[in-house]
Amino acid sequence: MPVLQVENLVKRFDNFLAVDDLSFSVKEGEIFGFLGGNGAGKTTTLRMMLDIIRPTSGHIEVLGSTPDRRNAAAIGFLPEERGLYSNMKAIDAIVYFGRLKEMDPGDARQHGMELLERFELADRAKSNIGDMSKGMAQKVQLACSLVNRPQLLMLDEPFSGLDPVNQGLLEDEILRASRRGAAVIFSTHVMQHAERLCDRLLLLRRGSKRFEGTLDEARASLPARITATARPQIAAVRGVARADALEDLGDGWTRYDLQLVPGVSAADVLETCTTQAIALRQFEEHRASLHDVFVQMVGDEGVEQ
Amino acid sequence: MNNNILLIAAREFRQTAAMKSFWLTLLLLPLALALGPLFAGSLEEDESERVVVMDRSGGQTAQAIEDRFALEGDRHVIGDLSRYVRRHNLEEADPQAPWAQFDRWYTAADVAAFREGGGVDEAIRKIDAVRAAETPEFETHEPAYAFSPADPQIMGLEGDALQDAVDAMLKADGNDQAGGADIVLMIGADYPRDPTVRLWSNEQPSADFVTPLQDVLTADLRQRLLTQQGLSGETALAIQSAAPAISVTTPPPGGGARESMLIRSIVPLALAYILMMSLMLSGSWMLQGSVEERSNKLIESLLACVRPEELMYGKLLGALAVGLSMIAVWLGCAAVAVFFTQGAIADMIRPALEPLTSPVAIIAMIYFFIVGYIAISILFVAVGAMADSMSEAQGYLMPILLGIILPITLLLNSIVAGKDGFLVQLLTWIPFWTPFAVLARLGIGIEVWELIGAGIVLAAFVVLEVIFLGRLFRASLLATGQKPGFRQMMDRLKPTGG
Repeated sequence: MPVLQVENLVKRFDNFLAVDDLSFSVKEGEIFGFLGGNGAGKTTTLRMMLDIIRPTSGHIEVLGSTPDRRNAAAIGFLPEERGLYSNMKAIDAIVYFGRLKEMDPGDARQHGMELLERFELADRAKSNIGDMSKGMAQKVQLACSLVNRPQLLMLDEPFSGLDPVNQGLLEDEILRASRRGAAVIFSTHVMQHAERLCDRLLLLRRGSKRFEGTLDEARASLPARITATARPQIAAVRGVARADALEDLGDGWTRYDLQLVPGVSAADVLETCTTQAIALRQFEEHRASLHDVFVQMVGDEGVEQ
Repeated sequence: MNNNILLIAAREFRQTAAMKSFWLTLLLLPLALALGPLFAGSLEEDESERVVVMDRSGGQTAQAIEDRFALEGDRHVIGDLSRYVRRHNLEEADPQAPWAQFDRWYTAADVAAFREGGGVDEAIRKIDAVRAAETPEFETHEPAYAFSPADPQIMGLEGDALQDAVDAMLKADGNDQAGGADIVLMIGADYPRDPTVRLWSNEQPSADFVTPLQDVLTADLRQRLLTQQGLSGETALAIQSAAPAISVTTPPPGGGARESMLIRSIVPLALAYILMMSLMLSGSWMLQGSVEERSNKLIESLLACVRPEELMYGKLLGALAVGLSMIAVWLGCAAVAVFFTQGAIADMIRPALEPLTSPVAIIAMIYFFIVGYIAISILFVAVGAMADSMSEAQGYLMPILLGIILPITLLLNSIVAGKDGFLVQLLTWIPFWTPFAVLARLGIGIEVWELIGAGIVLAAFVVLEVIFLGRLFRASLLATGQKPGFRQMMDRLKPTGG
């Protein structure tokens, strides 16, 4: 049974269609990337999953039931806009959120301290959050979302505002949560993190789904490109859609940029070249990056590599 | 009750209790109430005014004046003794003594009997013999006026020399320097042929002084005129002394009609005032917390765990807890003050607590206080959900506060003045002011049907507030960045699925 199931979800604000007929699901232990530019509908969708706002139509199932605060005990959420009570001690804030998620105060405190130790903040457990640096406060907030050992962890742009060290720490926590069986869904427009972490991902553009699948499937969705040094007859090989000469190397040799017919792999072309005795001095495949896929499907607004 | 609501309320309470302003306010009111009487006491005149009489007509008139003021002083002491004895039920000390009689105006004969009986010292000795250990002692006061003989050197002065000498005496001030005076009287050598009596004083002389003086001089003049007409001295005196016997009936201390009404209204009025004070204070603290949640981007994290309604109820409960704890401390301070002061305050408090002896009044007080608290606090919660900063919150809050406080001020003044007119009746039925009006009226009396009716109106109003302001609260929580206009606010009051 999927931890999260979304079917034909629509959210309309007055005349603005924020989410348009969105369907996807996330399984136990899966890391699911929610990719899209600014205003793609990522935060709106996450808020609907949390029952902070209600959908115009469609169906959401979280842990087998419709979104409700009764599920709060099994959900961890890190919002994009972060903040905590500045005059509260770090450990008290973690315990407070743990208790709001139906945790026993002792357990919340104990696990909260474990998290702070892991985040190298144990010595600041009794510091007021207002006295901490922004990075420290963000780690405390991450601890607040993890304290209840959630079955479903939702992170909205979790890497924004974090330095590289803390980005690494967050990646470790996402992987740790996934290893213990939690479904993790995070929105981002930073492709590096998605490439490193996601088992599957979903590309959103203006509220509607442009792609859903694994990273390999995403890359395969764009035609592969090959850089080959060969004689001109390579342009006539079956499966090559277009051959652009890049550089004349003399003696009839030319370096080409080959674009393949969709569905034809670089291996097919190499095999054809071999069987037809077409000489090759270079044959280099360039797989499409997630960035390329994103730009192709979503556009290049608001994307970071 | 929902655990999340309690958790939110507890956090709200802790946040407020961590504020310095909370503790400052909590202690400031009892401190002000304690210091007020001390300052007031220090402002009271506790020393006699010194009167110098220059009697150039032989001294007989000066003596008459002095005797009269001594009589007034003793009459005053008997009155004080009488109130003291009656307050503490000590009549058995000497049932026949004038100060054990409460039902008449004390005549010269009563004063004479009092003096013959040993005066105030003997009265205190008798009272002390029957006084319980916990009953406070009777405290005597200095007489209002102390008479001093005039310096023989100025007795013969006239014109500017006399004026300079009198000016010097008045400048010296009666209490500060020997030879000084607060009032100087001069009876001329030709008195009573020339009945002019001169009076010098730095201030307008009080009626307490001028009236007896006038009485003495008038009686003296009339006595002389009557004897000149051939009447014997005794007959003339008998005519002069003829006076009706005035029988005075008063309720026990603090029991008079207007006084009683005022005293009975002390607790209800204080409750109405405390309700207003604590609402304004706890409301603004809660507002500060709500604005912090919005400006620190906390709301989304909270809403992932709790429903907006739980957040709103938790905040209301937290504000109520803050208000009630403030009231508990203030009432505790008042109880301590009563315990230690006993005497007058305890006597005042007894009738003041009378409204609390009726179960209906007690239920009404608790109900209107708590429901009133919720009715007004919810406005602060709604403002807190809409404002991104305290300055923005002030913009919403100022008209609301003025709208609430101004009529309450008029209402409380009306009740203190003993008026139960149209304004008071009207405010009883307008929910924003219902709790204040009902609490304030409990002392002067409010019909049961009015209590029930106003209670139902208030409850219905709170239900509507919870519905409509709850929608506004929910819709405003995540809408940051733009100050909503009137139309947007109206839109947020409409039911919505998301």
